[in-house]
Amino acid sequence: MVTGATRYAADGHVHGLLHGRLVLSTEAHALIRRVDRDQALAMPGVVAVLIAKDLPTAGPGSDRTTEPLARTEVVFAGQPVGLVVAESEAAAADAVELVEVEYESLPAVIDVEDAMLPGRALARVAEEGEGGGDLESIHAEADKGQDDGGEEQLSGNVLDTVKRSSGDAAALLEASDAVVSGTFRTPWIHQAYIEPQVATAWLEPNDNLVVSTSTQGSFVTQRELARAFGLPLERIRVVAEPLGGAFGGKFALMEPLAAGAALALKRPVRVALTRAEDFQATNPASAQVSHLRIGARKDGTLTAITARMIVDRGSNAGWGVEGITSLLVGGPYRWEAHDLRGYGVQTNRFTFGAYRGPGAPTAAFAVETLLDELAEALEIDPVELRLRNAVVEGDVGVSGNAFPRMGAVQVLERLRAHPLWERRDSLPAGEGIGIAAGYWPGGMEPAAAVCRVNQDGTMTVITSAVDMSGVNTGFATIVAEAFGLSPDQVRVVSADTATGPYSGASGGSKVTYTVGKAVLRAAEAAREKLLAAASEELEIAPADLEVVDGVVRAVGAPDRSVTVAEISAKALRFGGRYEPIEGHGGSAQTRGAPSVAAHLAHVRVDSETGEIELLGHVIAQDVGRALNPALVEGQMRGGATQGIGWALFEELVHDERGQLLTGSFMDYAIPVAERVPDIDTLIVEVPAPDGPFGAKGIGEAPVIAAAPAIANAAAAATGIRLRELPMTAPRVWAALREGRSA
Amino acid sequence: MIAAAFRHRRASSLDDALEALADPDAKALAGGQSLLPVLKLRVVRPSLIVDIGRLDLGGVRREGDEVRIGALTTWEELIRAPDLQQAPLAAITECAVEVGDLQVRNRGTLGGSLAHADPASDVPAVVLALGARLVVHSASGERTVDASEFFQGPFTTVLGQGELITEVVFSVAPGAGSAYVKVEHPASGFALAGAAALVRPDGEESVAVTGIGAHAFLLPADREPQEGLSDAEIYGDRFAPEEYRRHLAGVVVERALERARARVEDRR
Repeated sequence: MVTGATRYAADGHVHGLLHGRLVLSTEAHALIRRVDRDQALAMPGVVAVLIAKDLPTAGPGSDRTTEPLARTEVVFAGQPVGLVVAESEAAAADAVELVEVEYESLPAVIDVEDAMLPGRALARVAEEGEGGGDLESIHAEADKGQDDGGEEQLSGNVLDTVKRSSGDAAALLEASDAVVSGTFRTPWIHQAYIEPQVATAWLEPNDNLVVSTSTQGSFVTQRELARAFGLPLERIRVVAEPLGGAFGGKFALMEPLAAGAALALKRPVRVALTRAEDFQATNPASAQVSHLRIGARKDGTLTAITARMIVDRGSNAGWGVEGITSLLVGGPYRWEAHDLRGYGVQTNRFTFGAYRGPGAPTAAFAVETLLDELAEALEIDPVELRLRNAVVEGDVGVSGNAFPRMGAVQVLERLRAHPLWERRDSLPAGEGIGIAAGYWPGGMEPAAAVCRVNQDGTMTVITSAVDMSGVNTGFATIVAEAFGLSPDQVRVVSADTATGPYSGASGGSKVTYTVGKAVLRAAEAAREKLLAAASEELEIAPADLEVVDGVVRAVGAPDRSVTVAEISAKALRFGGRYEPIEGHGGSAQTRGAPSVAAHLAHVRVDSETGEIELLGHVIAQDVGRALNPALVEGQMRGGATQGIGWALFEELVHDERGQLLTGSFMDYAIPVAERVPDIDTLIVEVPAPDGPFGAKGIGEAPVIAAAPAIANAAAAATGIRLRELPMTAPRVWAALREGRSA
Repeated sequence: MIAAAFRHRRASSLDDALEALADPDAKALAGGQSLLPVLKLRVVRPSLIVDIGRLDLGGVRREGDEVRIGALTTWEELIRAPDLQQAPLAAITECAVEVGDLQVRNRGTLGGSLAHADPASDVPAVVLALGARLVVHSASGERTVDASEFFQGPFTTVLGQGELITEVVFSVAPGAGSAYVKVEHPASGFALAGAAALVRPDGEESVAVTGIGAHAFLLPADREPQEGLSDAEIYGDRFAPEEYRRHLAGVVVERALERARARVEDRR
């Protein structure tokens, strides 16, 4: 229900609050020679103009946590160099213009493939600090493949090389009946959350640091702040406010700066980015160049896959998606041999960040396009080709691990039976239908939760999970089902690092799977307590009792009953005879629960203008168990829509000097409602063995294969393969004119 | 995005507004759909905003074979105006529908858009193709400017300091048909290329193009449209290179002419 009553992170009133406004680097790569703050400091209302040395950071390091303001070297245009702190936002904005920074320009490294070549100028010349701390473990998938062994000659801009191989892929390709290959380019993409980043920090009277923020994870932010300032964890409290969207972009990015300012000035400071600042200074998703080659036998059995995936990390030295993207390029398919390499290359652009399924849409665009080309070459139906090779439980993937149970075959079969797919060969000229599939491995992180019955018999569920995708509603459903209440008797609250049971960050498609499991166990534990107390009240053994809609009653004799409220009232009072009806639960799954999503896209291509119009879109996803179908469908539609953004609209563009050319929604196109067709959502349930009621994390899978489905549809319509995203009208027109693959 | 400080003065009358606007550091605020973004981005920093939004300068009136449209008429009002639901003026409503989004159309005004003269905005092509006349007031009197003489460059018109468009006058060519066709930039919604065409029953055609050069312009009447385009100076950018834009202009010109001609036919 939309009430307009939610208070977001920028809404909270803090007494004595000061406002911080960023001074951003105008150079993509330079040394900072001098910062002249005098004029800015003289402006009325300005309290301080902070630069790196003013922040009490603990030590060296060149990530956004340890270097929230550039020390001596700026490595991207838009990097925060200073923070003007003033009594009003307007005063701070005026003063920012008066801060003069003198730069000594250095060569800007912009072309990611060129940057890899030996002898090229480095995107960062000063010494690097430590790596990405906690964030690295969150984002890097566990298996990063074998060490490359340094056989290639690469420049110092290549921060990481990942290699995974099995069998002799080259030989197998030679022996294949059909081989297709291509180079695929995808751009930098902004998460475009509707709420720009904001963090507020202040010191309590005992000098403890409190940070109230729009974040995906309170505990991970707490750890990052401890790392940034060398403070013990118990001195830091992070409160995650209701989130206005994040999609991966809000992991401890602005909090170190707000906290540093509060620590330095000993006054509350809020850093609330404007949209323009958010475009310049946050952490969008990496651009990528993928060189891919795949082969198959005449009967459609896939043989081998070789890939070189070059990931533009921008200025993020801490972690990269080269590992995950070179893993996911194998898709949910069986391969007899593979040789996959991923490279994380630094350039003078943003510190890249995660975006819904990091590394996956880029990989899927490449492999799903080539699968379609293989199908064409072998004259096999594109769905049949995929079905012939789709993994089932036990199949070993390119990671070397066996896939658990997941619904790759099921989602493809659902699409094959869809009326849209059945019409694909009888469409008017200029129209086409395409299909593509992708999967997300899903994340795992231990979690805990508390279920607390209140005096009135309702239930409060306490977690520290940030509600990013509607998970709280899922928790209420789980608890209601497991405990014996109706969902409207269950309230879910989010606690902070000082008060809440542990939860990892929301992201990675794991909250329902892990925190949901903890919530389920907490509900079961509370139920045991309830039955113990009710058993005493009714003088019936717990095994002979059931709980239905808030009433504990004898199985088969429902008139012998007592309400949950009655029991709870007897517990929660002076001299009460029962323990409070509360349960604590934890989870630590070790088996992942991957989710597969496949898409159908129906397009019309205007060959005169190059515009691709979306006429229809279908997504089928294996969700394990749809605890709340409306929310699950919302995730599917939202993910598909962002995938449409990848396909047709979104692109952050820099010029040769590393200046951002698309710094507002006037330049950066997003798939707004009027541009997106109705999306038909097909829920497929293949229960996850370790998930609560079989549910699994589903947030990321739906974005992954939307773009290749649209590209394949455009190919069906025009005969032309597009290999660069987004497929804008000018690009499509150029490709059509040259009658080639773009 | 926080504007630099400014004073705001609500004009009590047209004369009051014109007097206040004589100040070189003043800007007029109508619907705000162009002014507010540039204020917030600090691209312009007027010290005085003269708010003319409540002056009585709106409305669509038919007078004989002319239609007079008040400068403060919004796009949504144009779309619904009964006097504009006719083939010779179809380009006006067809253009209005393409402007921005619903929120912009409910606030943005005809006069504001013309005065702002964004080279990629839609309505300049329409006033050019339909041969409209702009009524301009200042503290020293009023004058009428032909659309063909109004646009001079990017965001530049013949309006001087202290001048306001008050009305736009369209002649209704009997039996004619007009149309507006555009291909929009997927982010801004502005025209990558837009074309307005007026076709008279005697076959005379008038075509104007917007979004591709320094300002909207009429194609020369004595040449084929595609020829006229091939000589025009056309801008390109990273999103839409010059070659594409030139081609696209040809496509929208063709489509606008086709639609306008069909409207002439329909009336026969």
